[in-house]
Amino acid sequence: MNEAPQNVRLIGGEMLLWSDADDPVDWRGAGLELVRRLLPAEGRVLLVGPHPQALVDAVAARAASVAVLVRSYPDACALGERHPALTVHCGRLRALTVEEPYDLVLALDGLQRTSSAEEPAPAWRASLDALAALVAPGGRLVLAVANDLGIDRFVEARPPDREGGDGQWEPHGFDPSHPRGSGPLDRALKASGLAVDRCYAAYPGRRAPRALLGRELLERNLPEALTVPLSARGGDTMRVADPLRLSRLAFRHGLGEQLAPAWVAVATRPGDAGDVELPPGLIEVGRAVHEITPEAIRRLPGGAARPIPRGRVVEELLVEACAREDVRAVRELLAKLADWVTDGGDATVDNLVWDGEHFAAVIPVPAPATTPVARVVLCRILWRFAVRLLAAGHHHPWPWPLAADQLTLTLCGMAGKPCDQADLDLARKLDAELGQPAEVPDASPTYRDLLGARDRLAEQLTAALARVARLETKLTYRERELVRARAKVRRSQRKVAAYRRTLGYRLSRRLVQPRKVARRVKRMLSR
Amino acid sequence: MDKSNHWYGHSRILGRYCGLADDTPKRIQGFLQHGWNYLHGFPPDDHWCSPGYPRFVWSDVLRRRGWSMGRRGHYVIGAPWVYLLQLEPDLGRVPERKGTIWYPFHGWEKSSVRGDHARLAAEIREVETGPVTVCLYWLEFANPAIRQAYESMGFRVVCHGERGSRWDRKGRGFLRRQLIELRRHRRVASNRLGSALFYGVSVGCDVAVYGDPMQYEDERPEYGGTARRRRLWPELHGVHVDRALAAETARSELGFDHQATPEELRRMFGWKRVRSA
Repeated sequence: MNEAPQNVRLIGGEMLLWSDADDPVDWRGAGLELVRRLLPAEGRVLLVGPHPQALVDAVAARAASVAVLVRSYPDACALGERHPALTVHCGRLRALTVEEPYDLVLALDGLQRTSSAEEPAPAWRASLDALAALVAPGGRLVLAVANDLGIDRFVEARPPDREGGDGQWEPHGFDPSHPRGSGPLDRALKASGLAVDRCYAAYPGRRAPRALLGRELLERNLPEALTVPLSARGGDTMRVADPLRLSRLAFRHGLGEQLAPAWVAVATRPGDAGDVELPPGLIEVGRAVHEITPEAIRRLPGGAARPIPRGRVVEELLVEACAREDVRAVRELLAKLADWVTDGGDATVDNLVWDGEHFAAVIPVPAPATTPVARVVLCRILWRFAVRLLAAGHHHPWPWPLAADQLTLTLCGMAGKPCDQADLDLARKLDAELGQPAEVPDASPTYRDLLGARDRLAEQLTAALARVARLETKLTYRERELVRARAKVRRSQRKVAAYRRTLGYRLSRRLVQPRKVARRVKRMLSR
Repeated sequence: MDKSNHWYGHSRILGRYCGLADDTPKRIQGFLQHGWNYLHGFPPDDHWCSPGYPRFVWSDVLRRRGWSMGRRGHYVIGAPWVYLLQLEPDLGRVPERKGTIWYPFHGWEKSSVRGDHARLAAEIREVETGPVTVCLYWLEFANPAIRQAYESMGFRVVCHGERGSRWDRKGRGFLRRQLIELRRHRRVASNRLGSALFYGVSVGCDVAVYGDPMQYEDERPEYGGTARRRRLWPELHGVHVDRALAAETARSELGFDHQATPEELRRMFGWKRVRSA
């Protein structure tokens, strides 16, 4: 065992041969923004459980006094070395005793990884009680709780907590005290002596939340434009795949809170709490974080509030039109889109709403350094749509151009702005420069994706077999024709041979012969 | 399977518990933990425990730790000691228990410990008030200098014997002899937590852990050293230890609640002929 840095305190239950550092819940902009608003100017902050390095760095840089609790000994040593001013407690949560409670306790990884293999896994409530005891009067707790019935669970073919990994010595899922809904979560916090300030639903997945939506926000009917970034899977924006449809449905049915992949509760222990203005909702798109209020969206930091555009998402409109093979509707919508782009508009169809008269970008796109030709901009938008349409395996009416490139050129033609391969190359270059991949690479396809892919392949195979059968019939027919033609040729050849043997033919050849000889002699003499 | 399955007569005790004849113990299809341990029941370099065979460990914490370290196939059955106590409820009981039995931390056949036995003996003399029996491992027992260190203090020096093997009779009485000695003494002590201490606690001895804990010449870092033992069981270190707390720890470390039934063991150990389909 190496010597631990000075600021690492072993409290018991530490895990010597273990690390959580490689997969803490991947909080980025939205989580960081929430934490930033809650950090007390002067006060003690405690981070419980593994947190992404960027978040620890940010907290350590801003708060006056910061402590961390992790169960892994190597992680504790790494943290202690990285931040010499940090107090690092290494061990299990329930073994932690502190002289003075904290003004802000952050447990954004949840409670599951705060216990170690050295103890039988404590019930969720027991861990919560231990955690709540660390909050000073007037202090705050920010706690993330994964939802066992979150929407991300519906699309998991291989739930990670049933895979029997090294971290699953006592798999989660048999714990009756784990909150079954946001109501029970509130009650649990209350029973631990905390008052809930606000409870957020975290989307799109519990491993990588990118949006936090307050309960008040979800109770209203969310504009469709907002559901776009919430339906993403893995990447930064949505994919045209199953999670999208499910999330959309969940929001439409008002189940956005109940089916959230995770909840984040901000709770206060009664006392002299400082005033903090909690955002109604936070959404990150790419690297930018936006604050959402029921009517407006505002880019942080310091952006101006603008109304959330109403209308339907253009990509969904197109996908629906494709599903019913309504080529005319596609053509008309694309033509209008082309006009909008010619007038200087630029947004991909998954980031665009159409209210029947106007297009509006959900999240405005920053203008690129050099403005490309409108034709190329449109080409890029359509190329992205084509890639996503094909990748998601939606039904569409175009039989031949199965490759995205060919489909893109067809779509450009339908929009009345024909493009060639050179334009398409420029468009792809532009897309690469903008740096948001059209298709997020996904390591594990969902079961539904696989079934969809299988059905698609079966359809293609049927079509291919039909084509083969047809070609076979044609081939047989042509072969028969060929045989017939060859027989005909052979018959003619025989006839010719017989003709050559006739007396008349031979006589006429003899008559012609002397003249030919004379011509040859004359040519030799003239040389 | 592995020779350590038969050390200290473990396989014989379990065989008797399962109602098998006592002559030659049968092969156990798996790996039986042979001593108390605060890693995962086996040494750090346990590559000889082939995956696919069960690891019969004493307690659930070993299973959890082992799992977190990538080991699978644990089967918690408790220590063979638990089975011995059930087989021998009255062996070695005396009307009045006297004195202390002291187990200095021992090396083994392939690794010896570093430490000053004479100083330890002096410390024991200072702390213990009643008669003292020092129990040495056979390697140290065979070393006259070490024996002399304790005998010169007026201690009785004993040895429970070699740990034996499947084929000879050497180890077969080991745990029985230990049980008899432990039931004769009022108190058990050592300079390190170990199997003997927990065995003693489980048969009603008072317990104490003090003195130079001594070091293996090549102690593995995976264990985390003496400091980790002290962090895990602070209540068990000292000259006087709360007996109730110690009993509770011994109960969980020896796995009294995980005792398996004979039929279960017969099936798990591959001692039952199973007709294959």
